[in-house]
Amino acid sequence: MKELRDLTRKLLADGDAGVVIGWEEGRRGARPAFITTPDDADKLIFDARCVHNLANYLNPRKPQVKALGKPAVVVKGCDAKAVAGLLREAQLTRDRVILIGVRCGGVVQTPEMPAELTEATVATRCYGCDVREPKLVDHLVGDARPEPPVTAALDRRIAELDALSPRERWQFWTSQLAKCTRCHACRQACPLCHCERCITDKTQPQWIESSSHLRGNFAWHLTRAQHLAGRCVGCGECERACPVGIPLSLINRKLQLVVKDLFDYTVTDDPEVPAPIGAYAVDDKQEFIE
Amino acid sequence: MSAATGTALFLSDENLGNLVAEIIAAGRRLVAPARDPQAAVGGSADYRYISSAAELAFGDSLPRMSLKGFFLPQSEVLFKWHRKGADVEIEAVPTEFPPQIVLGARPCDTAALEIVDQVMDWGLRDELWFGRRNATTIFNLSCPVEDASCFCHAVDLNPDATRAADGMLTPVPGGYLVESCTEKGAALVEGHKALFESGDTGAAAERSAAAAQYRAAARAKVAADLQIDTTRIKEWVGDHFDDEFWTALGPRCNGCAACASVCPTCHCFDIVDEPEGVGHGARRRNWDTCQTGVFTLHASGHNPRADQNSRFRQRVNHKFFIYPSRFGEVLCTGCGRCSRVCPEGQDLAEVLACIDELARA
Amino acid sequence: MAATDTPMKPDGFHPRITAFVCNWCTYTGADLAGTSRLQMASNVRIIRLPCTGRIDHMFIVKAFERGADGVIVSGCHPADCHYTAGNYHARRRFGVFRELMDFMGIDPQRVTFSWVSASEGAKWKDVVNETVARVAELGPFDAYHELAGDTVTGGEPAPGPFEAASGAETPDPLEELEVGR
Repeated sequence: MKELRDLTRKLLADGDAGVVIGWEEGRRGARPAFITTPDDADKLIFDARCVHNLANYLNPRKPQVKALGKPAVVVKGCDAKAVAGLLREAQLTRDRVILIGVRCGGVVQTPEMPAELTEATVATRCYGCDVREPKLVDHLVGDARPEPPVTAALDRRIAELDALSPRERWQFWTSQLAKCTRCHACRQACPLCHCERCITDKTQPQWIESSSHLRGNFAWHLTRAQHLAGRCVGCGECERACPVGIPLSLINRKLQLVVKDLFDYTVTDDPEVPAPIGAYAVDDKQEFIE
Repeated sequence: MSAATGTALFLSDENLGNLVAEIIAAGRRLVAPARDPQAAVGGSADYRYISSAAELAFGDSLPRMSLKGFFLPQSEVLFKWHRKGADVEIEAVPTEFPPQIVLGARPCDTAALEIVDQVMDWGLRDELWFGRRNATTIFNLSCPVEDASCFCHAVDLNPDATRAADGMLTPVPGGYLVESCTEKGAALVEGHKALFESGDTGAAAERSAAAAQYRAAARAKVAADLQIDTTRIKEWVGDHFDDEFWTALGPRCNGCAACASVCPTCHCFDIVDEPEGVGHGARRRNWDTCQTGVFTLHASGHNPRADQNSRFRQRVNHKFFIYPSRFGEVLCTGCGRCSRVCPEGQDLAEVLACIDELARA
Repeated sequence: MAATDTPMKPDGFHPRITAFVCNWCTYTGADLAGTSRLQMASNVRIIRLPCTGRIDHMFIVKAFERGADGVIVSGCHPADCHYTAGNYHARRRFGVFRELMDFMGIDPQRVTFSWVSASEGAKWKDVVNETVARVAELGPFDAYHELAGDTVTGGEPAPGPFEAASGAETPDPLEELEVGR
């Protein structure tokens, strides 16, 4: 912690960064912090409750963050993958951001939970994590932490759904999407949802009805998932932001598995590796095409 | 707000089940906090239409969404149109609704309806809103107070308030003390009076004492938190539109608007025309919120609220300055849902405390 | 185009199929099928686009929203794309979208993806007939067409007045066009 705070003080005092974006203690657990003066550096914390994907604040369409100056962002390994996504998609240039990597031993599901990692509390995204020590960084802080308990709960649930008939899956998803109020919190919380104007906000033509009936909701959730296929880093922020509890991670994770199966692609923190949608191989699988 | 004043009757747990059964058998729609029967894992209760007492989840935490969806559905048809040759035929929607009963509403959710009534009858009466309001009988559940994000006492409510309610249930050992406070409420009790035990039995005094203790404990719990003066806040917010304070709040907010979805008093809506095929369609109104960029986006491309700082300021302004200036009371019932749902830890109670502090200085 | 009236089921259900095809291969192939007077089911309405690369997954969704029971997406064979790589991109996107539909409970059998070249009039006939037969077997896609009839609050039917009735009938859009004029 001291390492992180000292670095923050230095970056701000030297004028290398205008703001350091990390985590602080809020009334309901850990939350994002925007440190703009060296004196506030001691507010910063990092523990297993720091679940937020702060790469979201690097979205170029956030003028209120831009106004604070050049950002230095604290990133876990999974957050670094989202930063890589922004770099890959030309939303960010590497010299416009300072990345402070933290060695991570897994996070809990919500920032309000105690920072104790058990099979019941660990976030599903930590399953199969390959970036406990982020590589895409300018500074690396913190000690190596032990591997978190493993939970394959998400993959188990997907296997259960896969085993159902299409009709049963349809019933499951209609019951889930029926709750959607179309607040688009899932989109706002997503570090990779960076379009200047989201397709669901467009009205000429209106591809996606803004009404929260199931017809509009299916169009939205199919599109959100499709547009994130091969791009989603699996941080689960969409699901955490959803005020009505739609299990969006199931869809995202399913598409991660599909993309792995079809194109042998796993999302990476290397911005030089192209995303699978937008690229192609001449010998891609095409059994589904008559 | 004062507590219910009608004569207290006792409804045993068993008879609550019978009451639910009788209401449903009579063909009336019943809304109550209940778990999602299809949810894979528990989750918290929501207000839902229920079909049996087994679904009731009075003991659960505060329902995730407020009650407003039963009066202002997240998407509702205003009228339908059909093209007939060169003409357009408009098919109106009925503004009379079948009676529905809400059991176990939280006082903050019920009171919100009466606060929003004012804007819904401001110059133009919203018949769909009032059609549902008039068709609904609401019995509150005296609230045990959820957690430190609750602040109903700070906005002139209480965990046992009966504002806009037709009656209230207060948990006591073995059941509930039931008070009705309107004719509608009394009529509901009268219609099922065999289920209610009158207040003159020996156990009645004990139960009254238990109820009083329960309410006092809840009041004390919520009062322990936020100490603010909404009048002072209104003045400060009105005078400090361009204060630097707002620029400190915007960056954290990612504009997800989950706060507005779960808010019992946020009532803004968007109106859209949707074709349902060729030559016919529907005009709908859908929930909308000032927390999104497109809410104020002009056709020219100009956006008067260009960043999240100004959008969050608008949220606080509308609730604590604009609404009280226009209608004499704040547009907030202190349910704390916005703080609980915010994925980034934005905390309205904390913001209000800061403003109160600034206003005091 | 030559057409036969093909009641595909005893109850006379005629599935409505929307086909999104590329201008250079499949549209020309379908044209060839017509000029060759090949007999095929008349249930398919073709929408011509420059390339399969231009075909968005939203086209499929919109077709279902507006009453289609099935969809055909067809374009040039690999290596034959008029724009070099449009079909390769489409193949990736639809490979994913097909799995997504399946996962969400939309039976992927309602959507046919095919490569039909300008010379494959006979293959187009087969694609059409097989798709129509398969979708006829699956029945009308009312589950999707009636989605807006289920507007809900808190997971249950909302008190909205039209919710139960809407979407019950899906009259032929071509007939309605006449009405519109």
